[in-house]
Amino acid sequence: MKRLTLIALLLISTLVSMSFPAAASTKGEDHGGEEKIDPKEIIFEHLGDRYGWEVPFCHHKSIPLPIIVFGSDGLHIFSSARVEHGKEYVDGGKIFRIAAEGDFKGKIVEIVDGEETRPFDISITKNVFALILTVIVVCLVLLPLRCYYRRKGYKAPRRWLGAVEALTAFIYDGVIKSTLKDKASKFAPYLLTVFYFIFVMNLMGLMVVFPGGANLTGNIAVTLVLAILTFLVTNIFGTKHYWKEIFWPDVPLWLKFPLPIMPIIEIFGVFTKPAALTVRLFANMMGGHMIVIVLTLLIFIFAQMGMAVAGGTAVISTMFSIFMLLIDVLVSFIQAYVFTMLSTIFISLAQENPHKEHGAAEAKH
Amino acid sequence: MELFTPDFGLIFWMFLSFAVLFFILWKFAWPAITKMIDQRAELIDKGVEYAQQARQDLDQAQAKAEEVMQEARRQQADILREADRVKTQIIEEARGEARQAAAKELDQAKLQIDQARKEAEQNIRDEVSAFALNIAQKVVRNQMSDTKAQTQLVDSLLDEIEKKN
Repeated sequence: MKRLTLIALLLISTLVSMSFPAAASTKGEDHGGEEKIDPKEIIFEHLGDRYGWEVPFCHHKSIPLPIIVFGSDGLHIFSSARVEHGKEYVDGGKIFRIAAEGDFKGKIVEIVDGEETRPFDISITKNVFALILTVIVVCLVLLPLRCYYRRKGYKAPRRWLGAVEALTAFIYDGVIKSTLKDKASKFAPYLLTVFYFIFVMNLMGLMVVFPGGANLTGNIAVTLVLAILTFLVTNIFGTKHYWKEIFWPDVPLWLKFPLPIMPIIEIFGVFTKPAALTVRLFANMMGGHMIVIVLTLLIFIFAQMGMAVAGGTAVISTMFSIFMLLIDVLVSFIQAYVFTMLSTIFISLAQENPHKEHGAAEAKH
Repeated sequence: MELFTPDFGLIFWMFLSFAVLFFILWKFAWPAITKMIDQRAELIDKGVEYAQQARQDLDQAQAKAEEVMQEARRQQADILREADRVKTQIIEEARGEARQAAAKELDQAKLQIDQARKEAEQNIRDEVSAFALNIAQKVVRNQMSDTKAQTQLVDSLLDEIEKKN
């Protein structure tokens, strides 16, 4: 069986290697003559956000998405198809286009007096659309479970619903309940939502074509918002003891009185926690996406060196990128799990009461 | 670096979509799901406890049943032994009584036989004496019909009286 899989993999990668250089060369022809591939450009294009969602196998077409901007004279809503490929769009006397270069490269800009200015932009971009899809998918995953419970009561669900329940129970029992104890039910909705949201976003990001492929959790805005939410939950629900530990911790007086060394460190710690959350998820997911893209790009870079090299690279690169994608599936789960676990720990640290001091000290180490 | 500068639009939508998702799940999904997970865990715990208890009970019941069986067997043996004893006693008693009754009957019979015999003896004696008198009468009448014999008798009687004197 294993040998069969290996042979199948090799065959597929060979086929891919035959087709890719051909595709690359046709692509080159389209742009007229010998056009150099700019790997950096392509990588950042894939990692970043954009207006419209590219269609698989057709680089020049994309699914149009609405652009919503508050320009110099108010709200403008129009399709992203109108500003594709650097076209200018005039809406109510105002000119919009996607900046080709400069500070706002790749973003929608309004032309005011010949100058590019950035309007207040809340467009439904590729990432925003992926977010909406994620919300829908998470709801579709979890709401049937609730319906099932309503219909069947105590009977354990099977198959798909059983898997969802097992995953939920794994996080709820293994992470939330074991850390937060009796306060679990208060924070479980937030933490479980965070887990499913991140997990589904991660997995959707790994799908290469339309409903997926958006590098959502590899976008710092997304992880920042999640970390800010954890920060808010931690500090809003923090106990008196938690605040006392920050401003007047249990250390020798000289560490806090004339010069408040410990309070400064503690306050710093309050902000480094969400920062660590932000960067950890962002870097992990972006790294995964980047490696896969780079591996794929290697084929096109080596394609210019002749058929044999291109073929060899294609086989190796495809196998590596399949391997990396499989690892990313693992990483998707691990990062969602880690984010939830750390959020739980941060929240539980802010829930400490004086009589649990010893436990708190242990948890910090 | 575009990658490291968070885009405002995305932050806005992220907040919004997370809020919507959280609201939907908080309202509809999580209470039901977590409650069910908790309740089922509790149910399973209780079930295990119940099963253990049931097994213990069963073991106890079996032991008790065994005990009851033993007791019953013991009682059965007792009863059998007692019955045997009573049986022999009754037989014994009946035999005694029968013997007594038989003895009584025998005594009575003896008494009656005695009486009957006495009566018979009396009768016989009476009859015999009557016969004897009769016979004597007849004999005397026969012998005294001739005078010679009568004188002879008187002589002999006189002789006898003489001898005695």
